[in-house]
Amino acid sequence: MIDFSRVQKELQECSRDMEASGIKVTPVSDNLVNLSGTIPGPIGTPYEGGIFKIDITLPDGYPFEPPKMHFVTKVWHPNVSSQSGAICLDILKDQWSPALTLKTALLSVQALLSAPEPDDPQDAVVAQQYLRDYQTFLGTARYWTETFAKTSSLGVEEKVQKLVEMGFPEALVRSSLEAVGGDENLALEKLCSG
Amino acid sequence: MVSDSITNAPIPSAPNSRDFSKKKRANRSAKLKQCKLDARREQWLSQVAVKSKGCKEEGNCAKKERDRSLENPRRRDQDNNDDGSIHHESDSESPSNSPTNSLLGGGGGSGGSDSGTNFVGSSSSRSSISGSSSGGCCSGSITEEEEEDGCLDDWEAVADALAADDDNNKPEPEPENSYSQSPSESQLSMQSDSTPELTNGLGLDSANSMTETESARMVPRISGNNTQAWRPDDAYRPQSLPNLAKQRSFPATNRHFGHGGVPWSRNSVLGAPSSCPICYEDLDLTDSSFLPCLCGFRLCLFCHKRILEEDGRCPGCRKPYEHDQVESEASVQGGSLTFRLARSCSMIARS
Repeated sequence: MIDFSRVQKELQECSRDMEASGIKVTPVSDNLVNLSGTIPGPIGTPYEGGIFKIDITLPDGYPFEPPKMHFVTKVWHPNVSSQSGAICLDILKDQWSPALTLKTALLSVQALLSAPEPDDPQDAVVAQQYLRDYQTFLGTARYWTETFAKTSSLGVEEKVQKLVEMGFPEALVRSSLEAVGGDENLALEKLCSG
Repeated sequence: MVSDSITNAPIPSAPNSRDFSKKKRANRSAKLKQCKLDARREQWLSQVAVKSKGCKEEGNCAKKERDRSLENPRRRDQDNNDDGSIHHESDSESPSNSPTNSLLGGGGGSGGSDSGTNFVGSSSSRSSISGSSSGGCCSGSITEEEEEDGCLDDWEAVADALAADDDNNKPEPEPENSYSQSPSESQLSMQSDSTPELTNGLGLDSANSMTETESARMVPRISGNNTQAWRPDDAYRPQSLPNLAKQRSFPATNRHFGHGGVPWSRNSVLGAPSSCPICYEDLDLTDSSFLPCLCGFRLCLFCHKRILEEDGRCPGCRKPYEHDQVESEASVQGGSLTFRLARSCSMIARS
């Protein structure tokens, strides 16, 4: 059974110092089992300027069991699967402690972004690139950040404009953008597929 | 005068602590309680019990002690005159138990007997630990404190564990009493010159003359000074004794418990968190004195139990919890005494 009173307090605490930490946790469903967290990309890394969305699922044993987290935003990082967004971080596995919180866990994920561990990779391809061709890695990571983690920085009108220029009807573009929560790339995918 | 203060004090606070304890009892599993009871019995058997008594006395009724200690010589005098038979048998207890008997009568017998038992333990351990110096507390406050805590059950349990008999309480001389006191007598005989005046709490010269004659009359009386605890600010207090600041807060907290949550601030001042970092619930009296890991990470008993059932590692340092943590604390920490006291105090408050 999840300790919901603790989760509630964690959410309150998180929202209280959101400005300072930049870390946001919001409930997705009413039952507080599914949460959504966002972390800003650490400054001085190829992830700088990006906002990374992380899906959080609380197991029944929380806080005695670690929360399940994975990136929703695509990230080019040795310890994050470029396909699934799975995170390879010890505190989310065997090194979890009930004294940790969602906020501290997300802070750890943020720290992982600035300090990759290529020797213990989640994504072997990225890790290889990180070790063998660091400059290419930096470029790819920066590109992914620009592409996937910064879409929300554009205003809605700009996105609509951009998609309309691609040849889609404006009404459809607007409804598609709304349906995917304002994500330009997802809207494009939706437009292309449907 | 004295009798009034003793009999009146328990009435307002006892129901509060009872209510509180009931609530808590409902919350705790029987297993956990048994565990703690066992641990506590060990503590008592290892003679640390006394210290807790001492600190409780101090913390609980510092003000009353002052008043009482002023009256103490007079009362002792009366005791001596009225009932000479006591002195041979349980001279050390006479300050504490004879007033208790007269005041509490049969009903208070259980509390009185326990204090008597504890006292015997205290005299031996105190004498082994510390040299001579002045105490500050009136021994009468022992029984009073027990009444206030409403914890007679617990004291009785401890008394049972120690195989103590209620006869300690009775004025008639008993061979067992003299038995149990004999070790302390022998140990104290070295200090007999300096210690007798301490029985009066103030160490006044006027009192000195009286007690010296008494001690001259019967040597065992000397152990009576062991009923008194050190004040933290006592100039004669040995440096080797643990800091009592923390322990003092528990009885005091206990007293005010019915009046609101204010006392918790005292704990937080001492570095203990006010709420469990795991479940975010407020730490209660037992929890805040519960130190399961050497790293100092505190948590409530619920969460501790839960963790023990699973991976059994401390959330603060990720080291596995030691199951015999009471013993390990005692052996590793210099302030082991402090720790044990905290636990025993908290047990009293719980019951």
